[in-house]
Amino acid sequence: MEYSQQFCELFFQALRIRLVEERIIELYPSDSIQSPVHLSIGQEAVAVGACRDLRETDLVFCTYRSHAYYLAKGGSLAEMFAELYGKVTGCARGKAGSMHLAAPEVGLMGASAVVASTIPHAVGAALAAKRLGNDQVVVGVFGDGATEEGVYHESLNFAVLHRLPVVFLCENNGLAVHSSQKARQGYDLLEHARSYGLSVCHIAEGYDFVKVADTMSDIIQRVRLTREPVFVEIRTYRYKEHVGPGEDFMCGYRQQEEWLAWKRQDPLEQYGDLAETIRPAIMKEIEEAVHFAMSSPFPSVEELLRDVV
Amino acid sequence: MSCNAAVTSLLNGQAASGLRAEAGTEVMSYRDALHWTMRDALQRHYSVLIMGQGVDDHKGIFGSTTGLAQEFGADRVMDMPLAEEGMTGVAIGAALNGLYPIQTHIRADFSLLAMNQIINLAAKYKYMFGGRFDVPMLIRMIVGRSWGQGAQHSQSLQSLFAHIPGLRVVMPSSSQSILDTYPAVIDRYRGPVISFEHRLMYDLQFYVAPLSPGQEIDPFGSRLVRPGEEVTIVATSIMVLEAMRAAEHLARVADIQCEVIDLHCVSSPDWDLVMHSVEKTGRLVVADTSWREYGVCAEVCRVVAERNPGCLKAPVVTLGMQPAPCPTAKCLEDLFYPDLRQLVGVLATLVTGNEIHGLPLPDTQSMADVYKRFKGPF
Ligand SMILES: Cc1ncc(C[n+]2csc(CCOP(=O)(O)OP(=O)(O)O)c2C)c(N)n1
Ligand SMILES: [Mg+2]
Repeated sequence: MEYSQQFCELFFQALRIRLVEERIIELYPSDSIQSPVHLSIGQEAVAVGACRDLRETDLVFCTYRSHAYYLAKGGSLAEMFAELYGKVTGCARGKAGSMHLAAPEVGLMGASAVVASTIPHAVGAALAAKRLGNDQVVVGVFGDGATEEGVYHESLNFAVLHRLPVVFLCENNGLAVHSSQKARQGYDLLEHARSYGLSVCHIAEGYDFVKVADTMSDIIQRVRLTREPVFVEIRTYRYKEHVGPGEDFMCGYRQQEEWLAWKRQDPLEQYGDLAETIRPAIMKEIEEAVHFAMSSPFPSVEELLRDVV
Repeated sequence: MSCNAAVTSLLNGQAASGLRAEAGTEVMSYRDALHWTMRDALQRHYSVLIMGQGVDDHKGIFGSTTGLAQEFGADRVMDMPLAEEGMTGVAIGAALNGLYPIQTHIRADFSLLAMNQIINLAAKYKYMFGGRFDVPMLIRMIVGRSWGQGAQHSQSLQSLFAHIPGLRVVMPSSSQSILDTYPAVIDRYRGPVISFEHRLMYDLQFYVAPLSPGQEIDPFGSRLVRPGEEVTIVATSIMVLEAMRAAEHLARVADIQCEVIDLHCVSSPDWDLVMHSVEKTGRLVVADTSWREYGVCAEVCRVVAERNPGCLKAPVVTLGMQPAPCPTAKCLEDLFYPDLRQLVGVLATLVTGNEIHGLPLPDTQSMADVYKRFKGPF
């Protein structure tokens, strides 16, 4: 079967994230990664689609579920593994673990473990972009649950009020830990954002990285030109438990059928032949990164009080 | 000391709250004690409402609320939106109008989003309106620790709240402490109470003794948990267990007798108990779960300095977290928290008056390894 080049590129990026996280799952029982991991498996297409047409100078702020954005934005894989291993060569010198990845050199401006807490940072960065008169686009990534926090509402208002070049990107996996969206929210996400005066966009096929990338491409271009905020909701599905390497369909809060239905649409599941041809190259890179992490030194005593003030 | 050995020594009844627990025969984990008090509260008080993110799910706040939504109904054990400030306000409103809300924060760190409601409203409602209102509610906050919880999932914020008049802040250090504190608070106290539960203790088993009929325990006092002559250790939360282990070690290797006080209610400790002890021993070590600066350590020193600084035979020693946010790499995390070896070391130095005290120290081992073989945070 023939695949277009743009399909192949996105497929590669998404598969790379999945294989990295599957490797994390394999390594986890060895206890060398002593950090809670919030895996993005199932949600990779959103990150790779959203980041494809972002420039290195465009900024992304994200959540503890940060591996996919870190990699999609171009963060170093070796430094990510080193960080997970608690090594001084990690992207945060062993002080972040999985939940606070950052790669400012490529515009990944940090992940926070406090829900919704980086949404206003994206707005503030957009305020700076406006004041400084550059053409940066800033993306604030958050989950559906984060929209329940007051700071989300405060951020939407401010971005509209001051016409700031920010994309509010809601990765809607329908869950906050084990609570379903409808058990928590009495509003419709899109209607709600629209009521603030934001232009809004909805993508139901969060598994379709081409669709996500093309739609996001238009949005990014528009924001770059108009300097107006946009709200985007992308439906997606988390395959693994909220935090940790396992599956949790036996726990009863969601149905395995949903997962199976989602997987039937997931290109990474559907195009096994393509995956197999790409896989060796990615696995090689992953093993090199793991080796780098394993052979790197732990932080020394001086690291403990370094960078406090 | 292996994990099991640590737990067994706790099981010997020594480390359970209060001397009373030595008489205890029943064994109960910290988690089960929490679950028992939550269920008991729902059963005995129609007004009790448990509210928090995930209180009704299969993990039930680390097992402390599991099954209660099924048993008592989703309108009494309510899952909450991710809206800490708003939901704290809702809890205050419910408390003002006849309910007794028990709110949970699966990490104390998330309560920082609710500071406005807790400090500007809950703490002041009674005073600001001339005593015309009560805000009876319990806010349970869990202090996470280890396994790379890091800067935003591990903070022990007791001093932030204890600083504020109007709030009662407790730090249960055993199953008995929970059984003594929660029912009494829920039954009898009409103001906001904040409780810091330590995640590392959830799996620990303790001996507990039921209250004898008519017996009432002050839920806000401090507890003398081990009598001794040579040095006073004032400790909070899991540091009480560390203090007990240190005291046992020194008694064994050098017949040094440490007196251990569980401060328990850090917002209004029993200062007479503390002063009486320090006046007796003349030596004081304060071991807290948080930073020393402007915290419990500093506060204990303030009171000793104000009341009777002359009783000290040597300067006070304080132990707490290093003055940094919590790092994730285990090697740094182990340096970040004080360990048993360090505690024994300062006690030995203090009592012998000599840094080269020659006493054997216990092996260095991270507290997380001792208390729990912890795999993943939830
Ligand atoms: C302020 C705050 N409250 C609660 C939590 C605990 N918590 C961590 S992730 C999460 C669910 C967030 O759901 P959502 O925003 O949809 O993101 P998802 O995990 O689904 O990607 C919760 C409640 C937290 N980290 N921060
Ligand atoms: Mg979600």
